[in-house]
Amino acid sequence: MEIQLKLYGSSKLLSDSETLLIQLPENSNVEKLRNTLTKIISEKHLKSNLTGLSKTAAFFSENDEVVNDNYKLKNKELISIIPPIGGG
Amino acid sequence: MSLHTALVKTEEGKISSEKAKSFIISEKNGAESIFVGRVRNENDGKKVTGVTYDAHDQAVIKSFQSICNDAKNKFDKNAKIFLEHAKGYVPVGEISILIAVGAGHRDEAFKICRYILEEVKHQSPIWKKEHYTGGKEEWLPGHSLRPQEKIK
Repeated sequence: MEIQLKLYGSSKLLSDSETLLIQLPENSNVEKLRNTLTKIISEKHLKSNLTGLSKTAAFFSENDEVVNDNYKLKNKELISIIPPIGGG
Repeated sequence: MSLHTALVKTEEGKISSEKAKSFIISEKNGAESIFVGRVRNENDGKKVTGVTYDAHDQAVIKSFQSICNDAKNKFDKNAKIFLEHAKGYVPVGEISILIAVGAGHRDEAFKICRYILEEVKHQSPIWKKEHYTGGKEEWLPGHSLRPQEKIK
């Protein structure tokens, strides 16, 4: 299965596009997505200062609600990654 | 109407303190408190030229409305509140956030203004990328929306 990860804030360093397609095993949950993201960052983005991102980020469903680590992802689902925030 | 919230895209317009003042004025209110946040020219010893604000638009507007309604319920149900935040590139000296509050008395007006500012920083999905002289840029660290006990 694959999901579309909508990028915000520092996570935009992961791609020049607004979304990043991530391949995951069937029936993956958000925890699996975090682990996969850790791997992607360590393999391709070590110099980009994103090492803690997969732990500190929250994830929003398409309803703009935070989803926990047990949330079951659906194939082609659009999930937003929410790095630590700081407006003002 | 007692509440106005918006994300202002910098390529389409600017945050206006005049608009905010007109919105909150009311004969019922004896106090007005206005907070204006601007982009500074220095941060952590680095010379800043501007800040790009990124935002999750729908979630930001939801959070703004929830924060402002909480503030009214907590301090003054009849308060008039104007809250705008910039999205996009904001050069040094320009406004990034404006909170204007009209309330019955000064204490409530100050408290609502401060409450909204702190809650926006902790609840609203907005991010800052600072631009420095020499062309470097950096996303700033922030407050995680993930429960602290989950971050190992």
